[in-house]
Amino acid sequence: MIVVKKALPRRTFVRGVGATLALPLLDAMVPALSALAQTPAAPTRRLGFIYTPNGVIQSQWTPEGEGHDFALSPILAPLAPFRDDVLVVSGLAHRQAESFGDGNADHHRATAAWLSGVHAWTRSTGLEIRLDVTADQIAAATLGATTRLPSLELALESPTSIACDSGADCFYSNTVSWQTPTTPLPAEVHPRVVFERLFGDGGSPAERQAQARRTASLLDSVVDDAARLQRRLGPGDRNRLTEYLDSVRALEQRIQRADVAAAETSLELPERPTDIPADFGEHARLMFDLQVLAFQTDLTRVFTLLVGREQTNRTYPDIGVPDGHHVVSHHQHNPTLMAKKAKIDTYHVELLAYFLERLRATPDGDGSLLDQAMLLYGSGLGDGDLHSHHDLPVLIAGGGAGQLEGGRHLSLPETPMTNLLVTLLAKAGVPIERLGDSNGPLNIEPAGV
Amino acid sequence: MRRLTRTEYGNAIRDLLALEALPRELDLASLLPADNTVGFDNVAELLFVTPTLMEAYVTAARKIARLAVGDPSQPLIVDTYPLPLELPQDRHLPGLPLGTRGGIAIDRYFPLDGDYDIEIGLTRFGREPERLEIAVDGERVALVVIGGAADTGESAYDPSAGPLRRRVRVLAGARTLGVTFAGKTAAASETLVSPFSRGRGRMPAVTSVTISGPYGEAVPGASASRARIFTCHPVPPDADDPACARRVLSTLLHRAYRRPVAEEDLAPVLSFYDAGHAEAGFERGVQRALERILVSPEFLLRVEAPAVDVPPGEPYPVTDLELATRLAFFLWSSMPDDELLELGAAGRLRAPGVLAGQVTRMLADPRATSLVSNFVAQWLYLRDLEARRPNDRLFPNFDDGLRDALLGETELVFETLLREDRSVLELLTPNETFLNERLARHYGIPHVYGSHFRRVSLGEDSVRGGLLGMGSILTLTSYATRTSPVVRGKWVLENILGAPPPPPPPDVPALRDTGQDGRVLSMRDRMAQHRANPVCASCHARMDPLGLALENLDAVGRWRIHDESGAPIDASGVLPDGTAFEGLTGLRAILAARPEAFVTTFTEKLLMYAVGRQLGPFDRPTVRHIVREAAGHDYRISAIVQAIVGSTPFQMRRPES
Repeated sequence: MIVVKKALPRRTFVRGVGATLALPLLDAMVPALSALAQTPAAPTRRLGFIYTPNGVIQSQWTPEGEGHDFALSPILAPLAPFRDDVLVVSGLAHRQAESFGDGNADHHRATAAWLSGVHAWTRSTGLEIRLDVTADQIAAATLGATTRLPSLELALESPTSIACDSGADCFYSNTVSWQTPTTPLPAEVHPRVVFERLFGDGGSPAERQAQARRTASLLDSVVDDAARLQRRLGPGDRNRLTEYLDSVRALEQRIQRADVAAAETSLELPERPTDIPADFGEHARLMFDLQVLAFQTDLTRVFTLLVGREQTNRTYPDIGVPDGHHVVSHHQHNPTLMAKKAKIDTYHVELLAYFLERLRATPDGDGSLLDQAMLLYGSGLGDGDLHSHHDLPVLIAGGGAGQLEGGRHLSLPETPMTNLLVTLLAKAGVPIERLGDSNGPLNIEPAGV
Repeated sequence: MRRLTRTEYGNAIRDLLALEALPRELDLASLLPADNTVGFDNVAELLFVTPTLMEAYVTAARKIARLAVGDPSQPLIVDTYPLPLELPQDRHLPGLPLGTRGGIAIDRYFPLDGDYDIEIGLTRFGREPERLEIAVDGERVALVVIGGAADTGESAYDPSAGPLRRRVRVLAGARTLGVTFAGKTAAASETLVSPFSRGRGRMPAVTSVTISGPYGEAVPGASASRARIFTCHPVPPDADDPACARRVLSTLLHRAYRRPVAEEDLAPVLSFYDAGHAEAGFERGVQRALERILVSPEFLLRVEAPAVDVPPGEPYPVTDLELATRLAFFLWSSMPDDELLELGAAGRLRAPGVLAGQVTRMLADPRATSLVSNFVAQWLYLRDLEARRPNDRLFPNFDDGLRDALLGETELVFETLLREDRSVLELLTPNETFLNERLARHYGIPHVYGSHFRRVSLGEDSVRGGLLGMGSILTLTSYATRTSPVVRGKWVLENILGAPPPPPPPDVPALRDTGQDGRVLSMRDRMAQHRANPVCASCHARMDPLGLALENLDAVGRWRIHDESGAPIDASGVLPDGTAFEGLTGLRAILAARPEAFVTTFTEKLLMYAVGRQLGPFDRPTVRHIVREAAGHDYRISAIVQAIVGSTPFQMRRPES
């Protein structure tokens, strides 16, 4: 048994004045199929997709120079310690996010197209919900087949906190993950809920096992209810019931996998987080900490994270931006507003740097989690002021188990962003023909290779 | 078929199990993922069922069942209630005993009769001793002296000995825990100090309260939940009493599934009872069975069975039982009660006078508050106010106390509309509103003292009251630093006149905010640029005058006579049809002259919420009919609700293809 000592600084999880009080401790040792068990011959593929809203100040995002010979831009400066692990890709576009006469829901289409490359239906055609399976979920179907959670969907902002003033299409910006063309996956905001999904809500290993058995029989039993309902209903009107049954089966499979994974290795867990931190940065770091744990314990290999919803008006008083994010993103070339928007963009990259640091500090296979992982960071909007969907901010971080060479800036003629997604999936061992509007893979190898 | 929304699920749990004020650990917002919304979150197409949600349902069922039944082996819960830094602490707060200042009143369910630790975070210990009181349901359970000379006796708190913690015995059920300072002090008035030092001031103040427990020996006790669940008890208590188990579970099933139940419903649930009984006796059996019920599709999904012998595509009336469920979710955002279920099952809900009588009964029930907390809150985006952060340099007075007061006014106005069955037109031309001291001072209205809200009559010329005079709406339609006549104009068009403007064309050029001479343009001059461009003018000629009429009310709803640029405000306007008007009172007169416009808009919103789908052109005759019906009753809220309940979309169902 391998015991990894406290992976996280305790204060990360325990907040507030009440923090000195003993929190209900989980049994500190959880079974986990640790990354440490992996051999270099079969490295584990890990993928992450991190979305930042409202575009960026492109002039301060895009690095000067190309290839290995480039300088990190002001917004990307926090990534200096990881320069060799980062590949910045310029010139990508999501033309499917454009209006096509469907009105100005650019923000929402940007989120929808980001990992799908599909033009979202909008209110001009009525409420019709259809996109396509997104890149992360395509990856999860393969990479997540043996992990307890096929994927994790995370967000730092809850859907209900923002008014939607452009009609029915707003829900498209609540998530970047679609499990089927008609089922978007909700993204979780609460750190405690994420923690409990990963590690349960307490009890000894024996109790947890008993609970898993009870849950299994519970799920088994409600399937009968659904079957009886189905008979009562006849052929029509079954959509939700089908979703219900699919969801129950998905959970059943997860429980079976957890059984298999039991008692491989152990990891000492931090204490369970209690609340959503009031401070945005603290919230972000906590969610990143949890994702590091999820990778480390191999409970999941794929995740998405929304740093904010498109059109968010979150204010950032701590970094000197008391104005709403969306408001400053429409800077109309006012230098003061542009500076504020760039501050927000830089802050988000700083939080990404924190995550990279945590990944680099965590061993995986014969390197670190950062060496193994492939992380995509970016937005579905380029220039947030103009709602443009070309020259998107895109960077890839991580070594992809030797498949990604960082320390470069790739400057391309306009190329569908989906080409990059196809390439990333291929590198993750999930080859697909095409995705959305892709027209081939994208060569991201260094010149001369 | 539709699944329950998160709000409906929470209310159904409350009503099924008499569970109120759940511990933060079981906060609905952390229990289930948020629903998508298109104005309202109960639109069926957006209520997806995903593995993530299913997993959350399973976990929620486990936590809820052990809390409701009072499982003595349940793990202890730790809940921290932080007090917002901005919450005023220098005065009496609502919900706390008179003569106290600051602190917090926490409504919370205590799972078992047992010992709980109350830990209190404090700042600043003054030279004068202060007495801090802990009370459960108004009864003092501990008094602690803090600050002052080192030793003032046994009850003194010594900060060097660690955090302030007291162990108190609390009985199971929903209780109000109060933590507050006893007695008045000479506190600096909240308005005289800057926002960052306000509230906590120089006096000792509570920063957080953490409740943990139960510790040691704890027993189920006599909670309301247990009374509701255990309609019988086995004798002796540890006996296997299958008859009692059947009785308890049949009642739960009947309510949870919202229909009469048969043996085939009971059998699978009983097998969970048996397993639980084998595990730890009768009550554990009921707990396991309850978990099973709460995960069943019959509870989580609202199912309406297809009619037989109806041609495809042909609408047909839903059954009385289904109608009972529709009614309950419309008026209560929850499951039907026993009376509705009985009428539904007996097929008597549509008997003459019965349906209208039930609607009247339901509107008078406390559960109808959901029409305010769920319908109005979503319609007016009140939930957004929570996230609004007006610029603290420009609006230093905006804090949580004011935010609560703004919401309080809006909620009370609607609550009164409902309880006193007023005309919805009073939302446009009010003659009263609800204020407390904080809000009255914000509005510049004298002679209102204290933290409680009271009815305040308004003069004919008052800008206050009604939707347009509410600080909540005025703040929600502004940016963090300034007002937005465009947003406000659009809001009036959408929510009062029911004529939303189309979205702006792409690539709109920026408005100049300075003139040729470099001087900052007034808001009115900036807006004039809209009308200079014919592409913009077609819509902005409708929006801008409506928004500019409200310019005397700043971005947090205060009265003003100069705008951000220092220019005197000119709130006059001309509508596209040539009607000239002046300011908010002028706008009100214009809106009041077209009552059907607002009533139609209100009806559309309420109908969409009632049927849980977006409305289409085919719904227009229904809406017109409802408005005509209500006109004969002064547009009273009850008349609109009754007409909606009687309408075709509410009564009938069209099979989905």
